Amino acid sequence: MARVVVLGGGIAGHTAALHLTRMLKRSDEVVVVTPNSNWNWIPSNIWVGVGKMKTDQVTFKLGPIYKRKGIEFHQALATAIHPEGRPGRPRPFVEITYTDPIRTGEQVELDYDYLVNATGPKLNFGATPGLGPDGHSYSVCTAAHAVEASAALQASINRMRRGERQVLVVGMGHGTCTCEGAAFEYAFNVEHEVHQAGVRDLAEIVYLTNEYELGDFGVGGLTFTQQGFQTTSKLWTESLFRERGIRAISGAHVTRVEEGVVRYEQLDGSNNSLAFDFAMLLPPFRGVDLQAFDAEGADISAELFAPSGFMKVDADYSSKPFEEWRAEDWPSTYQVPRFPNIFAVGIAFAPPHQISRPRKSPSGTVIAPSPPRTGMPSGIMGKLAATNIAEMIEHGASAQVHSASMADMGAACVASAGSGLRHGSAASMTMYPVVPDLVKYPGTGRSLKDTFGEIGLSGHWIKLLLHYMFIYKAKARPGWHLIPE
Amino acid sequence: MDDTEANVARAPLPTAKTLRARKNLLIQFGRFLAINTKMLKIIRKERR
Repeated sequence: MARVVVLGGGIAGHTAALHLTRMLKRSDEVVVVTPNSNWNWIPSNIWVGVGKMKTDQVTFKLGPIYKRKGIEFHQALATAIHPEGRPGRPRPFVEITYTDPIRTGEQVELDYDYLVNATGPKLNFGATPGLGPDGHSYSVCTAAHAVEASAALQASINRMRRGERQVLVVGMGHGTCTCEGAAFEYAFNVEHEVHQAGVRDLAEIVYLTNEYELGDFGVGGLTFTQQGFQTTSKLWTESLFRERGIRAISGAHVTRVEEGVVRYEQLDGSNNSLAFDFAMLLPPFRGVDLQAFDAEGADISAELFAPSGFMKVDADYSSKPFEEWRAEDWPSTYQVPRFPNIFAVGIAFAPPHQISRPRKSPSGTVIAPSPPRTGMPSGIMGKLAATNIAEMIEHGASAQVHSASMADMGAACVASAGSGLRHGSAASMTMYPVVPDLVKYPGTGRSLKDTFGEIGLSGHWIKLLLHYMFIYKAKARPGWHLIPE
Repeated sequence: MDDTEANVARAPLPTAKTLRARKNLLIQFGRFLAINTKMLKIIRKERR
């Protein structure tokens, strides 16, 4: 009998846990530890943030699903990993602290044979003074944050209906943020809502981003063919900004958010400010506060975690210039080298470096998008960890371990630009691979056959289809495992 | 960067025909099928 503990119940962790229940024997145990009682389809939070969806349309209770699937569920926060156990207790274990209202604050130790770290990000609002719901801007990172953003946006729309001009700022709250796609989506959904409300002429919408140029999306931009020509996501995105009248400020690191004013430094070294009436600025991510200790109780956190707090896995973390980055630097099994029974998947693993070229301002401020590893790649990694754990349990040391490097993995992304079955639109994109491989695909680093982008109403239908399909899958309804990650 | 606003200002605008095509139900249904096929191709590649 083996015991697998999954830390985190987001896309990667939940996917891993569900696949483990069908891949392992009944006698094996699957345990999920996550501080939240709800699962959240985060890609649809942008629609909650403009009032098009309610919280219960993007979330559901995890407890009943786990009960039905025979998964042991602890609503708790993991605080420490002991991969070698401790004297007198050789089995590895994790320390957890309950967030479950019935057991709040209670601390427990859970044994494991295999551990999947899918703890996701810590929303690091503290990195920028004044950023976030406790400061002067809004977020759509959680459903609750999105509800607050929606109410504030509505108040702004109401002021426009009374004839007041409003400046609406949407973007990234720090120079090292990721998820530019989500900010892009929210900016265009805000524009769509303001337009639908009939007050577009009174709104100045500004997209404030850490991307060096529009269309980078944290993946260094895309090149694809269109009507016999190669074009770029940069040109394509700039066209959309012009068409919809959204102002863009790029290469920006937000240094401070004050009441009604966002201050930022740009790559050219200039320090600027922008007055706003409404601001949705995403926070940077860091790893959750998780420590690790060896058998003697010595702190080995620095060995297992990068300074960013994300877990180090089978990647090449040596420091080297952009020109020397290779596809092989990226991890393929997501195992911790010293402890192959520990996997870190989704946002929880430490990327070896950015995908976009990193840049600094003259004062040395790093302004570079962090690599996105949410959505489809997260689900694929979760399933990969489950597959490999099942193999290792069945075959032991002789198990054939599968791999799924982001340098050999594609992604399909749909960025909403406004909702509505007749009047919605979205940018549909595919890329292969996510991490460019200039050796395999000289020139652009990606397959031109499998990388494309298109804007239209059909994109909105696809995003809506994905919304219902992935919630169905996450609820482990009949045939759920047939729906791809 | 400062160039971004200038780049946006001179970016190509879609023609009226393109804008109509982006909203046309029949065309978009066709694109819905085509894009899903492209996405399935990426997924199949992944599964290999």
